[in-house]
Amino acid sequence: MRTWVSLFTIQGAWNHERMLGVGTGVASLPLLRGLKKHRGTEAHRAALARASSYFNAHPYLAGMAVAAEARAELDGRPAKQIERLRCALGSPLGSLGDRLVWAGWLPASVGMALITFGLTGHWLAAVVFLVVYNVVHLGLRAWAFRAGWVLGLQVGEALKGPRLRRAVQVAPAVAAVLLGIGLPLAAVRLGHRLVPAAAGDAVGPWAAMFVVAAVTLLVLRRLMPTIGGLRLALVVATLVVIGEAVWP
Amino acid sequence: METGLVVLWGTLVGLDLVTGPQVMIARPLVAGTVAGAILGDPVAGVTVGMLLELFALEVVPVGGSRYADYGPAAVAAAWVAVDAPLGLALGPAALVGLVVARAGEESMQFIRRRNDSRVQANRSALDRGDAGTLVRLQLIGIGADAVRAAALTLLGLGLAALARDVIPWSARSAAVLGMLLVAIGAGTASAAALRVAGHGAAARWLIAGAALGFVVAGFV
Repeated sequence: MRTWVSLFTIQGAWNHERMLGVGTGVASLPLLRGLKKHRGTEAHRAALARASSYFNAHPYLAGMAVAAEARAELDGRPAKQIERLRCALGSPLGSLGDRLVWAGWLPASVGMALITFGLTGHWLAAVVFLVVYNVVHLGLRAWAFRAGWVLGLQVGEALKGPRLRRAVQVAPAVAAVLLGIGLPLAAVRLGHRLVPAAAGDAVGPWAAMFVVAAVTLLVLRRLMPTIGGLRLALVVATLVVIGEAVWP
Repeated sequence: METGLVVLWGTLVGLDLVTGPQVMIARPLVAGTVAGAILGDPVAGVTVGMLLELFALEVVPVGGSRYADYGPAAVAAAWVAVDAPLGLALGPAALVGLVVARAGEESMQFIRRRNDSRVQANRSALDRGDAGTLVRLQLIGIGADAVRAAALTLLGLGLAALARDVIPWSARSAAVLGMLLVAIGAGTASAAALRVAGHGAAARWLIAGAALGFVVAGFV
């Protein structure tokens, strides 16, 4: 349990040299305590050094590697095997997490929040997002940790499950449809809070906003990730502020 | 009391971005809504949070990539928007949020470089499996990020006070700024959605969803 909790701050000392390494080492401490008692201080230190070496993966799934390595250490597996396991798990866990969470469940959850906000304009949208997102987030962390602890060196089997493969295939489509529905709804809701202040219910401001949004989309499709929406918005906003100062 | 709670909330959401627990209170939608609720106006909070969320959608927090920090940004933006006419406050609030988010990106790089230096200085202890060094590095890293998040929130509140009380926005420029930022945000979020969807079946789902979204928006 202490390991599972400390996995929530696994990126606390994120750095370019070891990436998640310090975090995985700290998370391994409670699991490796038995090693010190049964196989001595040297074995414990060697295991801890392995657990805190370079490691990069998705933070939600890194618990699988931490648990699997600790299991293998406690089972007395050779150091080379454990190092190979650590090396082999990083990329698949990173890729799986990126596709399932960052490119799947996170945008899907934001999509649900956009829909809720667009339909109601209510702060409930934030609650919907938090609950929906974290049901899967916490479930994923728990599943990954348990799979690593139960399967040890055979943890690769957990990544081959058909349900997981299906989820990775379906996640972008779910995110896409929810974002597709939610974006126009949320943008129109936001526009309704602005247009009356600018020009009553006239069509002009809506048309102008639509054109600016379309131009932004086209520009960013060409320039992303060199220039993102944030930088573009800052440039445009600066021009508006300067324009206001010059032509009040 | 309110200011203290807002700074505490800004610190928590700044920590949530990378250090943890990554339960996504760092998303501007959540950060802005709760900040608005603390200040007595959750509707203003959710509105500025949602506008910044459109920009935050372009962030993919993969590995060592650079990304803006929209949590403290949304807290500062909510400070500008609460108890003000939303049509006029949304633009200046979002502008403050975007500036703070950009500053957050730089501050995150600073923290990572400091972590790099500390890890390099303690390399031999880490290679020996020294538990004390591991725990110390982790605690210092978390502490440094907490200080970063608190400082970013305070910077944001300073900018918010400037935008709210010092800069003499005309109604026209405030409304035009708001409309421009909503439009650019919508374009940014659309580009991000296209990137998520790619070129396969998901892209068709995105187009179908957008068509449905426009129809429903027409009725709403």
